[in-house]
Amino acid sequence: MSTTNPSPSPGGRNRASAAAHAHDAAVPAHEAPARVGQDGRASRRAWRPAGGAAVAITAATAALFLVSLFVQPQSVSHSSLTGMLPFAAVLAIVAVGQTLIIQQGGIDLSVPGMVSLTVVVMTHVPDGDSSKVVPAIALALALTLAAGLLAGVLVSYVGITSIVTTLGMNALLLGGVLEISGGGPRQTTEGLQDFATGTVALGITTPVVVAIALTGVVWFVIKRTVVGRRFEAVGASARAARAAGLAPVRHQIGAYVGAAACYCVAGILLAGIVKTPGVYQGEAYLLPSVAAVVLGGTSLLGGRGSVVASAIAALFLSQLDQLVMTTGVSSAVQNLVQAAALAVGIAVHSVPWARLRERLQRRDPAPAPPSGAPAG
Amino acid sequence: MPMTSSGSKLVSTALAIAAILGLSACGGSDDGGATASSGSSAATASADRPAWCGEREITFALADGFGDNSWRKVTVAEARDEASKCPSVKEFIYTNGQGDTQKSISDIQGLTAQGVNALVVFADQGKAVLPAIREAYNAGVVTVPYRVFPGGEAGKDYDAYIRTDFSELGELWARWLVRVLDGRGNIAYLGGPPANTQNLEQYEGMQRVFRDYPDIRFVGQAPYNVTDWDAARTQQVLSALLAKYPRIDAVAVDFGFASAVSAFRQARREIPAVVTEDSNQLSCMYQELKADNPRFELFTVESQTWMVRTAVRYAVAKATGGELPDVNVPQRAFEDSVSGRPNPVTCVETLPPDSFASSQLSTEAQAAALK
Repeated sequence: MSTTNPSPSPGGRNRASAAAHAHDAAVPAHEAPARVGQDGRASRRAWRPAGGAAVAITAATAALFLVSLFVQPQSVSHSSLTGMLPFAAVLAIVAVGQTLIIQQGGIDLSVPGMVSLTVVVMTHVPDGDSSKVVPAIALALALTLAAGLLAGVLVSYVGITSIVTTLGMNALLLGGVLEISGGGPRQTTEGLQDFATGTVALGITTPVVVAIALTGVVWFVIKRTVVGRRFEAVGASARAARAAGLAPVRHQIGAYVGAAACYCVAGILLAGIVKTPGVYQGEAYLLPSVAAVVLGGTSLLGGRGSVVASAIAALFLSQLDQLVMTTGVSSAVQNLVQAAALAVGIAVHSVPWARLRERLQRRDPAPAPPSGAPAG
Repeated sequence: MPMTSSGSKLVSTALAIAAILGLSACGGSDDGGATASSGSSAATASADRPAWCGEREITFALADGFGDNSWRKVTVAEARDEASKCPSVKEFIYTNGQGDTQKSISDIQGLTAQGVNALVVFADQGKAVLPAIREAYNAGVVTVPYRVFPGGEAGKDYDAYIRTDFSELGELWARWLVRVLDGRGNIAYLGGPPANTQNLEQYEGMQRVFRDYPDIRFVGQAPYNVTDWDAARTQQVLSALLAKYPRIDAVAVDFGFASAVSAFRQARREIPAVVTEDSNQLSCMYQELKADNPRFELFTVESQTWMVRTAVRYAVAKATGGELPDVNVPQRAFEDSVSGRPNPVTCVETLPPDSFASSQLSTEAQAAALK
């Protein structure tokens, strides 16, 4: 329990250790000495702070930047970072949206449609006229929020699985993309481009600031407000939440609408970062967004999660991409490196390491003394 | 759900009826063609009909594996334009596979069942659609895949494959680069998805020329930097290359370079020489960009939206009994900012940015196609 979901609140930890004791009770008496050796592990488990997932991915990201510095210094040069960070920010915002849905036990396959539709609205509606950017933003927001609301209603009221609902929604949205664009891309407007590539302070570009602010706001709402705490409770178990007098439907719909808003913001930024974004520009964000959520330690089964961890994981994935791209290795190697990083990241969160170690040691008690004897 | 299933039932019934009607219509038109040729007007025809357009009346179809970008839209308009020159083509059917292999296959099968007489196929999905192409050929449809090789053999699986040699394009780029770079420099070559034949052929063509110039080097991934022909990815790849290499003297790219110029601005680097395919957007941006980037020179080859015309002519000729045309599709230089030959950089302001000045359509026809 504590290993599959590494951000246990005090309550979670109690449950986990209770489970561990129950497990221990089932262990035959002759294996009792093995339990003594577990004290270290138990304390290590207890040491894990509440924001464990965020700490793990932050450490990994810091390590990645260090590795980059030594292996390929150019990949952390100013010019490389200014190229990478805006895209990392877009991915982070998409990942925050994806986290909300996954916290409700769903998965959102409509990311490509949502982002592409926003990009297309932001480029085709103004068609070079900067004064029409604001109406375009309003239109994009209205369309994506409506789509999110519809998806939320279908999932929570009608009870269609989220994977099916969002798959269908994605097709619908891509239809809208084709209808508006006719398949032809348009150049972005000067106004939007200046906004999305402009710097706020100290050379930090707008998308990065927007991503940090948005992640912060969502984090605050989920972790520090009553609505947010209820939101997580509903995600952990809609039934239990209902029994406790909460309204799961409202929170589930909220997740889809909130996610749609995130995708829309990401799409608006993307439409400004790329001079002539393609009409299916959102396609590239589906899998990385899920990968970021998983790397961030949010359980795919729903419940507890961390949007901050997801956003940092987005930075991790983007820098990893930048690093392998800068080394100039073949695309086969690039894919392998990324897959390996993902596998490691997921393994950290989902393999029950402590139990695995226990089992290995129990099978072969001989090597136990060397670790215990010198210490004692 | 029930609505869609009854809807699809309706559609399939309608298709079946259409197929039956189509078959009988074809039978009728075949007869018509026979009487016409035995009857009269071979002499009167030659005045307004091209040599490749025979007497037999046909239904023509273009099966596109993917149809939703500007290049394809212009291409389809060019195909319609070419087919309209031949009065024997009674009907022009277009299907769009939407990038879906299964749909592309059933499109071709559907057209065969409808009894079209001539079929041009853009086999985006390559060998996956070959069985459907073979079925069409075996059913007596004049079948002509073009531009993307579906495998198979002419005369066995289809009538002819209309190809263009992308290595010629690579050679054209490389010869211009050798001149502009004076035989030395770093080139960033950006291509589509990994291991696609178009880029591999272009690379091979460039290498044929660069073999004699050891001071010209490709930077980044070999044989090309993978962008998946995606605008954002192109920008990311370019900014990674700019970060790594303090000197990049030229960029060779066969996909929307215009969409990725921001990478240079962000890295505060000057745009160097660029070789690519013609795009109205890039041509229109050229003057503006040139002011801030004095080293920026541009060389383009034709985007070949007109290539489909060769395939149409061949298929129509074979199906109507006309004279078989030349099937050679040459790669041709289009714009050269240095010499101004064959054309200086040409911005057509009346056309949208995603249009192609090298198209053989009239400006109005192209604008209409892209609407």
